Amino acid sequence: MNDQFIPTPDALPVAWGWLQFLLLLTFPIHLLFMNAMLGSAGISMVQRFKGGEVNRRLAYFLAILLPLLVAFTVTFGVAPLLFVQVLYGQFFYTSSILMAAFWILIIPILILAYFGAYLYDFRFEKLGKAGGWVISIVFILFITIAYFLSNNMLLMTLPDKFSGYFQHMSGTMLASGHPTFLPRYLHMVIGAIAVGGLYTALITRLKSKSDPELAAYGEAVGMKVFNMFTIISILLGIWFLASQPKPVMMMFMGKNGLATGVFVLALILVVLMLVFSFRKKVLATTVVLTVLVYLMTFMRAFLRTGYLGKFFTLDQLKMASEYSPMVLFLVSLVAGIFVMVWMVKKAWQALTA
Amino acid sequence: MNFPVWYLPTIGGGFLIALIAVTHVFVSHFAVGGGLYLVYSEKKGLREQDPGILAFTKRHAKFFLLLTMVYGSITGVGIWFIVALVNPGGISLVIHNFVFGWATEWVFFILEISAAFIYFYTFGKMDDRTHVAIGWVYFISAWISLFLITGIIDFMLTPGTWLAHHNFWRGFFNPSFVPSVFFRTFIATMLAGAYGYLTASFTKEPAVKEIMTRFSGKWTLVSLILAIPSGLWYVAVLPTHAHNLVTGQSPTIASALRWGFWGAVGIMIITLIAGIAKPSWNLKPVAVLAFICGFLIVGSFEWTREAARRPFVVNEFMYSNEILKSDVPMLQEEGFLKTARWIRNRTITPENRSAAGRELFINQCYACHTIGGFNNDIIARTRSMSYTALAKYIGKIHKVRYFMPPFAGTPKEAQALAAFIAGDLNGKDVSEPKPSNAGNNSGKMLFEENCSSCHELADLAEKTAGWEQQKIRTALDKLNQLVKEMPPYDGTFAEKDQLVAFLYSLNHKEAVQPVVPSVDGKRVFEDHCSPCHASSDLAEKTAAWDRAKIRDALDKLNQLVEEMPPMEGTKAEKEDLADYLNSLKGGQK
Repeated sequence: MNDQFIPTPDALPVAWGWLQFLLLLTFPIHLLFMNAMLGSAGISMVQRFKGGEVNRRLAYFLAILLPLLVAFTVTFGVAPLLFVQVLYGQFFYTSSILMAAFWILIIPILILAYFGAYLYDFRFEKLGKAGGWVISIVFILFITIAYFLSNNMLLMTLPDKFSGYFQHMSGTMLASGHPTFLPRYLHMVIGAIAVGGLYTALITRLKSKSDPELAAYGEAVGMKVFNMFTIISILLGIWFLASQPKPVMMMFMGKNGLATGVFVLALILVVLMLVFSFRKKVLATTVVLTVLVYLMTFMRAFLRTGYLGKFFTLDQLKMASEYSPMVLFLVSLVAGIFVMVWMVKKAWQALTA
Repeated sequence: MNFPVWYLPTIGGGFLIALIAVTHVFVSHFAVGGGLYLVYSEKKGLREQDPGILAFTKRHAKFFLLLTMVYGSITGVGIWFIVALVNPGGISLVIHNFVFGWATEWVFFILEISAAFIYFYTFGKMDDRTHVAIGWVYFISAWISLFLITGIIDFMLTPGTWLAHHNFWRGFFNPSFVPSVFFRTFIATMLAGAYGYLTASFTKEPAVKEIMTRFSGKWTLVSLILAIPSGLWYVAVLPTHAHNLVTGQSPTIASALRWGFWGAVGIMIITLIAGIAKPSWNLKPVAVLAFICGFLIVGSFEWTREAARRPFVVNEFMYSNEILKSDVPMLQEEGFLKTARWIRNRTITPENRSAAGRELFINQCYACHTIGGFNNDIIARTRSMSYTALAKYIGKIHKVRYFMPPFAGTPKEAQALAAFIAGDLNGKDVSEPKPSNAGNNSGKMLFEENCSSCHELADLAEKTAGWEQQKIRTALDKLNQLVKEMPPYDGTFAEKDQLVAFLYSLNHKEAVQPVVPSVDGKRVFEDHCSPCHASSDLAEKTAAWDRAKIRDALDKLNQLVEEMPPMEGTKAEKEDLADYLNSLKGGQK
């Protein structure tokens, strides 16, 4: 065990459980938006290339919503990024620096992808078939960002590799050679496309009155994508689990009661979700999927503790008890939710009038 | 020293931060002020029932949405990314202390983004009153974001009583918080005017163009006028060192402020003449020029704020190179290489000296200096310094130039760092000087140690052309009165004489060089006396002695005090030592 290269963490203002709770509460929201963004970009791309009239309408409808999904994916990524820095900063900052040259590229890539998404939306008709290429580039940029994110999230759990810094001082180290990387990355991306399919089926329902053909087509395409990619994702999930070091894998096989319980519950929900989805019960599938994304986030947290356990556990963090700022945050959050509900309600009324 | 350093020697992390931060601030302040501008622009259109103004507002809202959402929000995340890569110790401190300040800001960020989308996508589809209310939600959320971020950013500049208590609220409501909020608010509304002016220049309908140009011009002008007193207030509350840096002690800040001043003058003239008086003169190039002026103001402000914090990242707590102020004495005692985390050369040997020096450079200097790069190139800055001069200069760097952190290491480590910079980077001889007759090089050496980090030899020769020795000497005694940012020279009387002789000789090759000590008295003292005596003790001991008596005593030390060994130095060394000891108590040669 080489912990020489693990920096000393700063003290927390509140007990770590609060921050872990907030991390696990906000991260799945980011994931859901990200999945909808990535998946719908892929579906819009394929529909644009197919070229039929209803395909074009579906591609355009998804294009209109894509910039909003980018904005909310980023916005809801900020909170978990904040909380992960507080809890695991000593690992996260280090791994980010080890792969800094790639990590910082996320920003210009994201700006390009975001502009591309707006270009694809605002100039959809003018671009014609070229729009297919624009959205293809946007899609490739998205999965490139996912590649870097997967790398960092894996690298931060591998402190044994941190000594590689001296060979990569310009920030060129990646974890993509690690045996768990490929199944991890593919599981995330393929899973995201599946969820993007479900999002398509759900969101096109908004058009059920004004364009029933589009709504029906969107549901058919969306659920087909969801079913197909969910099955692939399950197979990748099995590969991902099997690729884990044995002690980590065994956490989900009885060694850790809570981790095993979450895993078993997730398996049951996967079956239930597939039953709903094959019956085209979009809303029921969405509800189960949302719970499932939360459960998978918990499993991901167990996985992280499994990797880092020999170096660090969260209860080792020092605390400089100061709770009043958290009260400010919680009060602001509640007030913000009220204002948000009011705004969305007014916007809905205006747009559906 | 706690985190690894992302090492890009020719680029430097500071440049990358500046690249993202300055452009982000330019857009993000517009994102705040622009919200208010949109509300008032829409209200104007509704009040005057002018569809042209409403169309202008919608068009401006689209430009606003694209710029602030795409570039503004992503570069906001980008600042987090880049700062965490370049200064992880600093960001970790700020994140851990203010995590719920950031989290609260995140709530308002979501509201801001949602309101911006709803405002744009429901333009003309929502009842007017509610639509304007959504605009207000946007502006208030954005302004609260500014309020929260300002508290945390200005904590870094003026941590105030946080330093003693480490309390969130004390850090947040720090001494520069209130003036900074006012200043940033007015800068935000000023930029909103400049952006509005730009959109107006692209407007085809002459009537709308005239109305909105004048409207934007007034916004800019009033905001700029209000920003001036709040800016002065901001400067007035700065702690002494930061205040001195901003008011002239730092040449880079002075330069940045000059750019900002001309930006302010430019935008004032444009908005007055080509905005309010003659709106028809709002042509695209003129509007772009006003836009550039706004950028200069923001860039100058951000640069100044960042630079005023030097040599700290959190004032009086953590230096720019992430070393805590409280750790420096320990590091100077125990050594940096032994205690830092991301180091391979733990001890210095003749073989690894320059490699160890490189590691010291990366960990202590690279935060601000590049190697051969555009920003603060260490090679250019040290070109005129010899190895020995540099080694001594490093040891007193913070004292000589306040805005540089003290060297946090042992004298041996300072030598290793000097060997890397002088030898590896500048290709100079880095062997230790031999205690032989260095001749008239003493004055040159003193120049290198004390002056060459800021002055070229030729510049000083030009500056002192025509000066008599007495005038040079008088100048040396009051450097900080001559030029405010120049630190006083604290050499001994003998050293000042040597430096005067050297500087005088630059313009008087024919002048007879004064007899200068063949070796440095201070070094002789360090070699022969310092193991047992502190210089202050000897100054006290010899307080009533003249130089002759001191010199005489050096020949019979064991007679003075039985247990003291006789001094083994050469005659020249004894002369120098006598000069040095005499100068300690203010005596003349």
